Amino acid sequence: MYKFTALSAVILMGLVACESTPPVDPPSSDYMTKIVSSNLTSNQTWYADTIYQLGGRITVTNGTTLTIEAGTIIKGEAGTGANATALLIARGAKLMAIGTPSLPIIFTTIADEISPIQVASGDFKSPNLDPTVTGLWGGVIILGKGIISASNASGDVNEVQIEGIPTSDPNGLYGGTDNADNSGVLQYISIRHGGANIGAGNEINGLSLGGVGSGTTIENIEIVSNQDDGIEVWGGMINITNIVSWNVGDDGFDTDQAWGGTLDNFVIITPKGHCFELDGPEGTYAVSHTIKNGNIQASDDNVTSEDLINTDANSLVSLESIYITDILPGQIINRLDAPGVLYADIVLNVDTVSNFLKNGGTHPGITAGTTPKANTSVFSWTWAAQAGIIQ
Amino acid sequence: MRAIISLCFFLFALSTFAQVGTVRGTVLDAETGETIIGAAVICNNCGSGNTATDLDGHFSLNAQPGTYAIEVAYFTYRTLKLIEVKVTAGEITLVGELGLLPEDNLKLDEVTIIAEVNRNSEIALLTLKRKSAAMVDGISSARIAQIGDGTAVEAAKRVTGVTVEGGKYVYIRGLGDRYSKTTLNGMDIPGLDPDKNTIQMDIFPTDLVNNIVVSKTFTADQPADFTGGLLNIETKAFPDKKVGSISFSSSFTPTMNLNPAFLRYEGGSLDFLGFDDGTRRLPALARQSSIPTPIFFSDAEVNRFVQSFNPTLGATRQRSFLDMKVGYSAGNQWEWKNRTKASGEVPKLGYVFSLSYKSNYTYYDDVTYGEYQRYLDPSVYEMRYATVQQGQLGEHNTLIGGVLGLAYKTNLKKVRATLMHLQNGESRAGQFWIDNDASAVGQSGYKAFSNNLEYNQRSLTNLLINGTVVKPETGTEIDWRISPTLSLSTDPDIRKTAFTYQTLDTFFQAGAGGNPSRIWRYLQEVNVPFRYDVTKKFTLFDEAAKLKYGAGDAFKWRHYEILLFDMQFFGQQNWSNDDPNQVLNPENIYPNYPNRVYYQSGNNDPNPNEYASNSNTAHAYVHTEFSLNLRTKAIVGLRVEHFVQRHTGRDQSWASGDYTNGKNLTNDVVLNSLDLFPSLNVMYSLNESQNLRFSATRTIARPSFKELSFAQIIDPITNRIFNGSFFEYAAWSGNLVETRINNVDIRWEKFMDAGQMFSISGFYKGFRNPIEMVRIAEQQTSTEFQPRNVGQGTMFGAEMEWNASFSALSPSLENFFFNGNITVIDSRITMSDVEYQSRKSYERDGQTVINTRAMAGQSPYVLNGGFSYTHPESKTNFGVYYNVKGSTLQIVGLGLFPDVYTQPFQSLNMSFTTKVGKEKGIDLKLRAMNLLNDNVLSVYKSFGAQDQIFSRYAPGWGLSAGLTFSL
Repeated sequence: MYKFTALSAVILMGLVACESTPPVDPPSSDYMTKIVSSNLTSNQTWYADTIYQLGGRITVTNGTTLTIEAGTIIKGEAGTGANATALLIARGAKLMAIGTPSLPIIFTTIADEISPIQVASGDFKSPNLDPTVTGLWGGVIILGKGIISASNASGDVNEVQIEGIPTSDPNGLYGGTDNADNSGVLQYISIRHGGANIGAGNEINGLSLGGVGSGTTIENIEIVSNQDDGIEVWGGMINITNIVSWNVGDDGFDTDQAWGGTLDNFVIITPKGHCFELDGPEGTYAVSHTIKNGNIQASDDNVTSEDLINTDANSLVSLESIYITDILPGQIINRLDAPGVLYADIVLNVDTVSNFLKNGGTHPGITAGTTPKANTSVFSWTWAAQAGIIQ
Repeated sequence: MRAIISLCFFLFALSTFAQVGTVRGTVLDAETGETIIGAAVICNNCGSGNTATDLDGHFSLNAQPGTYAIEVAYFTYRTLKLIEVKVTAGEITLVGELGLLPEDNLKLDEVTIIAEVNRNSEIALLTLKRKSAAMVDGISSARIAQIGDGTAVEAAKRVTGVTVEGGKYVYIRGLGDRYSKTTLNGMDIPGLDPDKNTIQMDIFPTDLVNNIVVSKTFTADQPADFTGGLLNIETKAFPDKKVGSISFSSSFTPTMNLNPAFLRYEGGSLDFLGFDDGTRRLPALARQSSIPTPIFFSDAEVNRFVQSFNPTLGATRQRSFLDMKVGYSAGNQWEWKNRTKASGEVPKLGYVFSLSYKSNYTYYDDVTYGEYQRYLDPSVYEMRYATVQQGQLGEHNTLIGGVLGLAYKTNLKKVRATLMHLQNGESRAGQFWIDNDASAVGQSGYKAFSNNLEYNQRSLTNLLINGTVVKPETGTEIDWRISPTLSLSTDPDIRKTAFTYQTLDTFFQAGAGGNPSRIWRYLQEVNVPFRYDVTKKFTLFDEAAKLKYGAGDAFKWRHYEILLFDMQFFGQQNWSNDDPNQVLNPENIYPNYPNRVYYQSGNNDPNPNEYASNSNTAHAYVHTEFSLNLRTKAIVGLRVEHFVQRHTGRDQSWASGDYTNGKNLTNDVVLNSLDLFPSLNVMYSLNESQNLRFSATRTIARPSFKELSFAQIIDPITNRIFNGSFFEYAAWSGNLVETRINNVDIRWEKFMDAGQMFSISGFYKGFRNPIEMVRIAEQQTSTEFQPRNVGQGTMFGAEMEWNASFSALSPSLENFFFNGNITVIDSRITMSDVEYQSRKSYERDGQTVINTRAMAGQSPYVLNGGFSYTHPESKTNFGVYYNVKGSTLQIVGLGLFPDVYTQPFQSLNMSFTTKVGKEKGIDLKLRAMNLLNDNVLSVYKSFGAQDQIFSRYAPGWGLSAGLTFSL
């Protein structure tokens, strides 16, 4: 199935190539394209009959709500560094992006020829881009007022600048004291081909969640081929449900600065970096998060993840009911002795578990087995499912 | 052009024509060191009559071969009689500087000197140093010739309080570049590096240098933007006689030269001349607003576009050559006899010319760059690393310098033009292992190996036109100068290629070592300074006095632009090996599977990393030099400068379309100030050899174009980013302003014979709004700095200087000299609240953070010392010189990020010069550099913690040998 997609994409690209020399928009007879080039400072709704083209780093500023209709497609222009495009929901702003399994909201690149008509027809795959193409635009960044555990110039601080946004942009600040903060609702959203490079070690995640409070709803999210992490969470109390992270360039799922929420039900497929990168608090505030009920595929024919679960000595996380397959020699769970890291019902699809634990160790919570843990039936709307990657 | 050629022929005819000899010299006031214009030079039996000194105090007298007595006479001075002046047919006899003593009721007789004994001493400069009411120091051409220094920079090092960094740039009294200034012939001239205040001095051969003068206190006739010192190089216009030399020197540093491990990369065919031949040119299509990328352009177009970039991405190792330098210089003056005036006055023409070529190899086999952080826990003292980068760096630097000066003068008028061009190319190649620690704040953790290829091409073209008119009847001298300069600096195609090494795979990872990137940087700058000065002599309190006034203007304009392109992979990557030179092999370029390389543009349209700035400084001043009584001299002056700086540029938000919150400037005024700079310099002579001095002045240090901008300039090797000051932060308003400085100096000095002297000085400087480089604390992932005003600074310093001959111990040791100076400085900044709180919050257990600290860039001490031996007859010199500066705050850390200090570099050098060959016509020079083999080191410092490396490299010890053939 995957090979067929790749082949058809190449053919399609060839066709496009024969016809077009200057940059062209995809055929636009049945929908409009609207270029968004400045920050949103008053409430707006984006409709499904229009493709919204992000012309830069677009910020929904404090007090403003952006509503996105189910089935709407948002495409970021190409660029890297300062030229990277992204949608940033600043502290105090809201994103109401409520898709449905039949009409998801899709964030992608302008190179993607996916159209509202195609989405309406129930086909959510890119017609012309492989699910391996990364870095064509930035990503989606949600910032809130939740508590974070950070440290910077002023020591223990409650706000810092989000990665990927230059410090010269104050809209990039996140964190606060309100763990119940509400940044809106994100449901049935697929974010693809993003992760533009800002500089070495500094780029945009598919979905960045900085200090997002528990009043926010984030569920049924798919990240495909982001050049950096799939989802990265910095502090806050948001609960996240039903996540697919497929073919991302760095970590499948990444946590920092004492996130206090739960990730429940997920599939992580072949990230280039760590499947899970789970860091400890950076300030004195310390709270643990829970990650449970998920499947991880650690390699395929082309990609081998760097390792399985990566924690620091001071990480605070409870990992429960996770099934990991396609594990290759060298891939490990990097730490078993961190006091704040709890493993329960972690199942590796291998013969000898200790070969895949740090220093050949053992842990009662990590065993060999073949029982998947995720409920994959809720992912049928995703590209990954439509491409046959998730059965 | 034709006129010039015929002029040259004519001059050659002139110079070969006479079979008489010539006597040349300069007449000065022995008390003040000032030249005397119009002194009668009388030779009763020379056969060619008498002459008078011109506006430079020079005279040139023709005579039949023989031995004569020459008298120099001037109203109110005692007549000087120079005897045993030997004149040879067709040759020039130089009698040097002749000092006239003022008339004195008790002594009316003439002074007699034997010509041979009047060794070309330094009357002018020594007297200037002793008698000027301002604190000046310097070295004259006579002294340079005696010591045998080859370039201006070597000579400048002998001036008290001057240190030279990187063999090129001067620092005065331990104050860095921001507070020191270099001028050429009294005019502002941008350096090869236009962001530096000082010009590269190693390109001026000393036989074209008239003198180097360092002013440590401000007088109103000087530009007000210096605080530590102003160093002026005055080039010769009329060499005393025909000079010409060819020099060749070579040096060898074992770690750098002839090293088979030297790192380089494939450049262009003209690299050896300091030019890029187009090899690194930005492909034309790359300037388009949308560059060829997959989907929007055909496969062939994308492929062609990628192929239009140079495919070399990796450094290669190849044996380096020896460093070498060749130089040619020539100069002469002629008398233009056809233009002889009725008065017998003969106009003179002079020229100087020099051309030099240098090629240097630098190789560091163990360069380290580190980024460190503190822990939040105050009981943990040691710092932890975020990134440590270690590797090798090779640099090949070539420099061509050419100077051509033409001058014409009559007794009372002079005009000269000097054209200078410098062409410099520096090719750099480095390889580094990068280790990033995920546990550190803001870091994601990775290991990468990077290849860095860089080229920097700089050029500077300057034309000085200068006219001087003297009107003896009114005691007036008028001098005007205009000195336009064009500077260009481009960094074409800075390439960084860093493979990320994971346990099981090696590839390019944006979130780790980064994707390969290429950067082009372009800088153009034009400077046009102009000044008009009038000096008028008069009498005040029965003593000679001078009034000087003038006005002028300096206009500067700069355009700067950075363009960035990132390599991207359309889909997954699969590399058969990690050789960076294979990345752009045709099989990897889009649409070829699997790596499908293409470029993405990092440049917004408009570009936030592009700016145009201009500034204009208009000045006017008046000052007067007078004697209150026989013992007290004073210079009192007032200068007014009106400075305006304008900027055209924009921040990222505006560039990406946010016109509400974004900032955009269109030739908007960003600095506008009218300042008064008063100066008072007083000298009180305790006796003939001892002086007390006092001075109180106000000066200024203005931010540079780069500092007042939205530019964000990354150093691709270290990944450290400079940010212009316009960006606002919680701790920074975004409004960078000039630093205003009040200076007070006192000094006691004692002069002894043979150039010996001893002095003790004290100084105070008060800085309002000093500018320092501050770490941006909000940015935790990358290391970024920004220039900011940081509150109030004060500085107290004590300076001691001692130049002594060992003749006091034994007369047989009269040719052994010691010179040394030590400056101790206590500098203090009162921190802003934000800085204080931030330091307080990272206080370690047992540490007490106070709200003051040392000023950035200010060394707590500077020590210079040297022993030398001079044998004047054989012109042999031997010297050992030592120099060290104290640990200096380089970057102001905040909270999480500790301060960075430049550590002392103990420099010990030796030199030996002598004359060899037939007729001693060849200068031989041997030098040994960095004999203590010290490292250049900057460290992070934190309370109770071991210092950690910010940057470290080893310049190694080296030897050099040079020969100069006089023509």
